Amino acid sequence: MYLRNGKIGIFDLASKEIGEEEFAEGSTWEKMSSISIADDLASEHGEDSLILGTGVLTGSFVPASCAGIVRGRNDADGRPRLMPIMGFAGFELKLSGFDFIVIKGVAERPGYLWIRDGMIDVVNAEELRPLDSWARTDKVRTDQGDPKIQVIAGGAWCDSKHPQSQAIVDYWGGDDKSGIGAELGKKNLVAIAFRGMGELELAEPEGHFEDAILLMREHVVKLGENHGLASYSDVADRGDFKKLLHRNVGCYGCPFPCRSYLKIAEDPAELRLVAKEPGYLHYDIPALREAFEVGLDAKDATVALMKCAKAGAEARTVLRWASEISPKVTMGSVDEVLADPADAKRSRVEHPPGNFEASFGDEDTYRACLGMGLCPRYWAKAGFDMLQIGSFAQDTLGRTVPTDDS
Amino acid sequence: MRLKIDPLKCVRCGLCEVACSLNRDSVLTPMASSIMLHVDDKANYFGLVLKSGGSCLVLARPEGTSTGEQAGGSGGPGAKPILLREACDFCEGSPRCALICPTLCITVVD
Repeated sequence: MYLRNGKIGIFDLASKEIGEEEFAEGSTWEKMSSISIADDLASEHGEDSLILGTGVLTGSFVPASCAGIVRGRNDADGRPRLMPIMGFAGFELKLSGFDFIVIKGVAERPGYLWIRDGMIDVVNAEELRPLDSWARTDKVRTDQGDPKIQVIAGGAWCDSKHPQSQAIVDYWGGDDKSGIGAELGKKNLVAIAFRGMGELELAEPEGHFEDAILLMREHVVKLGENHGLASYSDVADRGDFKKLLHRNVGCYGCPFPCRSYLKIAEDPAELRLVAKEPGYLHYDIPALREAFEVGLDAKDATVALMKCAKAGAEARTVLRWASEISPKVTMGSVDEVLADPADAKRSRVEHPPGNFEASFGDEDTYRACLGMGLCPRYWAKAGFDMLQIGSFAQDTLGRTVPTDDS
Repeated sequence: MRLKIDPLKCVRCGLCEVACSLNRDSVLTPMASSIMLHVDDKANYFGLVLKSGGSCLVLARPEGTSTGEQAGGSGGPGAKPILLREACDFCEGSPRCALICPTLCITVVD
């Protein structure tokens, strides 16, 4: 099976037992969608399962083939929660030895799931519970001895199962706009960690590589000069944001990054490794827009989003609630909101605008793109064309792949 | 022929690592490539380490590129240390890392 491991891992947190199922790829693009497959797995194993997975093209040379997903149940409106996982998380998840991972039950004690080399363990980690998401990520990486481990971490808000909590991917917020963080809390998980040390095969490696380069070069010419997040949203196209800009960063396979790192604790022009936590990586467009709308400048917006990420709280909602305390939002009002996730005044469910979810004008295209393992933000910019993507199937998967309509 | 690395053009997309393995083993993986991303996430500090021949390494740090024989960069405990990996062989004259690098961070010079 090309670009797949052929394996689904099923882990029961209560019994700590791991099971495996053979993964069989669907016959059409729709049936191959990671989102559809996760829905089917939830039907089979229970809607309260947390399901991690990748698209068929995740980890390939197709531009911006970085995306994985996390699916969970939604108690509030019955719709499944769906979180894209970007950066290197989707890529590493696919190389961990599983195509999908189903997490069932509830852990008896706080712990983190540790996935690598086709193995899954739950590591008891009560000492991580008092830590924020950044410290949890640091601790997991230090304890397992590998700085490239991908960590989806919770924080205090996730532990409290707050509906506006946010799972944090490798320190940064912006992936989880549906409250997957609360699902971590419900399962008594402080984090999910994984490392990709496997390998994937292609049907025709040379053809796939050459086609991908041609398409990428076409995109690079079309997209022009990259300015990080400002290339994707006017929210970052302002002077105080640009003054703090350190470097722009791509996810796996992305030639046109949307991630802009602002330095606030040292000179943004500093290139050496000096401060340990000098800044924050911005790609959460709705949260950043809210921060500016409530009167913060780029530096304070960066501090606020960093605080929310550490707490595992959805930043746009926190900023909106902070503006209810004082119309001119300060770090004090942000801290006040973040301090007590159990505060009944601020326990209502809100639906923040999507981040990656808002890339396309319609949900169907978003789901089609993400379900293949491609970044919706990049492909909305470059031009998502199913026919063009479909042309990769022969060299990549060794067969043509129709759509349900064809 | 040699590879020139301009580390400030790198956007840490990781394609060079995977393209290298494709040439070596015809599979997708970053674990055995001759070029390796070195990353410190929180500080947004990242660069490339290239095993260029023998035990010689090109250390393309953001603050400047140097060569040396010291151990530089780690793919983690499960990854083969770069000094134990095979040196860059220029993919029979057409280095794939340079072909796929979208920002011209890696280029071929004579």
